[in-house]
Amino acid sequence: MKLNYMFIGFIVLALIQLVVPFKMMHDSENVITSGTPYKFKTRPIDPTDPFRGKYITLQYKMRYFITSDTTFTSLTTFAPGDDIRVYIKNDQAGFAVVDTISKKPLDMNTDFVMAKVTDSYKGKVMFELPFTRFYMEETKAYDAELAYRKANRRRLRKKVYSLVYVKDGKSVLDNVFIDDIPIKKYVEQTKDSLLTN
Amino acid sequence: MRLDKELQTLVQDNVISLETSNKIKAYYIAKNKEKPNLLFLVFGIFGALLIGSGIILMIAHNWDNFSKITKTIFAFAPLVIAQSLVGFSIFKNKGKAWKEASGTFLFFTVGSSISMISQIYNVSGSLSSFLIIWTILCIPLLYLLRSHAVALLVLLTGTYYALAAKIWDHKIIEAPWVYMAFFLSILPYYISLLKRNASSNAVTIFSWMLPLSLMIGSLTFFRSHDHMVFVLYVITFGILYNIGKFSIFKEVKRLRNGFLIIGSLGTIILLVVTTFQWIWGDLLDEVSSYMGELFNVIIMGTIALLALGYNIFRKGIRSINLFQVAFVVFVLIYFLLYQTENIPVILMNLLVFALGVSTVISGAQKFNFGLLNFGLLIVSILIICRFFDTEINFVLKGFAFVLVGLGFFFSNYIMLKRKKVISNT
Repeated sequence: MKLNYMFIGFIVLALIQLVVPFKMMHDSENVITSGTPYKFKTRPIDPTDPFRGKYITLQYKMRYFITSDTTFTSLTTFAPGDDIRVYIKNDQAGFAVVDTISKKPLDMNTDFVMAKVTDSYKGKVMFELPFTRFYMEETKAYDAELAYRKANRRRLRKKVYSLVYVKDGKSVLDNVFIDDIPIKKYVEQTKDSLLTN
Repeated sequence: MRLDKELQTLVQDNVISLETSNKIKAYYIAKNKEKPNLLFLVFGIFGALLIGSGIILMIAHNWDNFSKITKTIFAFAPLVIAQSLVGFSIFKNKGKAWKEASGTFLFFTVGSSISMISQIYNVSGSLSSFLIIWTILCIPLLYLLRSHAVALLVLLTGTYYALAAKIWDHKIIEAPWVYMAFFLSILPYYISLLKRNASSNAVTIFSWMLPLSLMIGSLTFFRSHDHMVFVLYVITFGILYNIGKFSIFKEVKRLRNGFLIIGSLGTIILLVVTTFQWIWGDLLDEVSSYMGELFNVIIMGTIALLALGYNIFRKGIRSINLFQVAFVVFVLIYFLLYQTENIPVILMNLLVFALGVSTVISGAQKFNFGLLNFGLLIVSILIICRFFDTEINFVLKGFAFVLVGLGFFFSNYIMLKRKKVISNT
C-alpha cells in the first residue's frame, strides 16, 4: 500500500519535472511563432555559466528612459529591482526604441517587454532588459567577443543587434547579428582574420 | 573466512560448544544478508554522478549544428530515461543501490533538461534562478527514494544557490531566504536518520555537511557591509556547538559530530581574535554607530538561546560547559562594555583562558587525551598571541614557552600514568 502511494507520488513528481522544461519551451515557441520581431542594438562580452556553458552577455543601448516629469521618476516610484514595462516602437532605421515606461499596464496598443530598474535619478530611469544571454558553442563564444572588439577598434561601427520576438510582455531572444549576418556565421566566416589580427 | 577459523579454534579448545558456534555463524550470515552491498552502492552512486555530470558538460558545449528538434530530444531523452529507472526502482521496490544510483542520475538529468531548453531559447534566467528550479524539482525525490545522495546533492545545489544569488549574481535582494527553505527541507530526513542510528556513516556525513552549509549560507545572510558579522558568527558557532551537545549525539564519537567540532573550533578561533586590542577598536566603533542593525543578532541570538535552553532542560544546568555559554558571555561583554576601553580585552583573555583550562580539566576527568591537548592548545595559542601583542623580554618569552611545553608533556604523562593505574586495579 505504502509502495503504491510512493509510486503515485513519484509519477506526479516526474510529470512536474517534465512540465517545467516543456512549459519553458512552449512559452518561448509561442512568442517566436506569433510574436513581433524587434531589433535591439547591443554590445557583447563573453562569460561562462558552469551548467549551461558559454554565452555572450548582451548589453543594450536601450538602458534608460528620460522624462521631464521629475515626480514621475523619483526613487520612491522606481526603486532598483522593480519590474517595469518598457513600451517599444521602431525608429526610422528599424531598431527598437523606448516609447514610454510604466509599472502598471497602460492602455496602449504597443508591444512591451518586462525590464528591471537598476537605478533612477532626477527624471532618468535606468533599467536592464531581460534578454541578456545568448548561448554559443564554446569554441565560438570567445571569437564572438574578438569580432566585437575588432569592429570597435577600427571604428568600423558595425551594426550589432539582437533579434527579439515580443508578445504580451514575453520576449524570446532569437539571434544576434553583426552587420546583418548571424553571429555564429559571422564568427565562422571571419575566424581566421580575427585570430591573425 | 577468519570467523570460521576462529570459531573452529574455540570449539576445539572447548571454549564454546559446536551448537553455539553454529548459532554465531547463522547470526552473521543473516546480518550480512540485510546489509546492502556497500561496494555496489558506492559504485552505483559514483557511476550515476559521473554520467549525470558528463551529460551536463556535454550539453554546456552548446551544439550549434544540431537542429532545434534534435536539441529538444536531447533535452528530454535523458530525463525520461532517468525517470523510468527511478519509477522502476520504486515500483519493484529495488534495493538501496538501485534507488541511490537512479535518483542521482535523475537529479542531474533534471538540471540538464532545463539547461538545454534555456540554451535553445536563450532564456536569460540567472544562475541562481536556474538552481532554484533545479533544486525544487528534486527535493521530493529524496523523500520518495530516501536517498542520501539526492539529499546531499540538494544541500549542495541549495548552498550553491545562496552563494550565486548573493555574491555572483549581484542581485538586489535582502537575503536568499529560499536557501533556508532548502536547508529546512533536508532536516526531517536528517533527523529521521539520526533517530535510527546516530553513529552511522550517513549521519556522520550529514553532521559535517549541514553545519558547513550553514556556515556558508550564513555568510550570504550577514551582508558583507553588515557591521555585526563578527558577533553573528560567534552566535552561529554557539548554535552549532549547542546542537552538537543535544542528547541525541550523546553516544556519538566526537569526530563524527561535525556540529560540535565546527562549533568549538569556530568559537575558539573567533574568541582568540577578540583577545587582541586592535580588533576592539573596529568592533567598538561599529557597536556605537550601528546599534540599529540588531535584527539579525536578535534572531540568531534567540535561536542560540533556545538551543542552549533545550540542553539545560534535558540535561540540567550542571551539565552545561563553558563553550556552550561562551557566545552569551561575548555578546554581554560586547554590548554592555563597549564604552569602556581595556575591560573587554581583559575579559576576553580571561574567557579564552577559562575555556582552555576547563577543556583541560574535562579531558583529565574523562581520560580523553584529545580533549586534554585541545585545552592545552587553547592556552598555548593564547600565550603565543599575547607575546606577539606585547613587548616582553625575550628571555621571559622563552621561559614561558618552555613552561607551556613542559605543561603539555607532564599533563599527558600524568594522565597516562593514572590511566595505567586505573586499568591495572
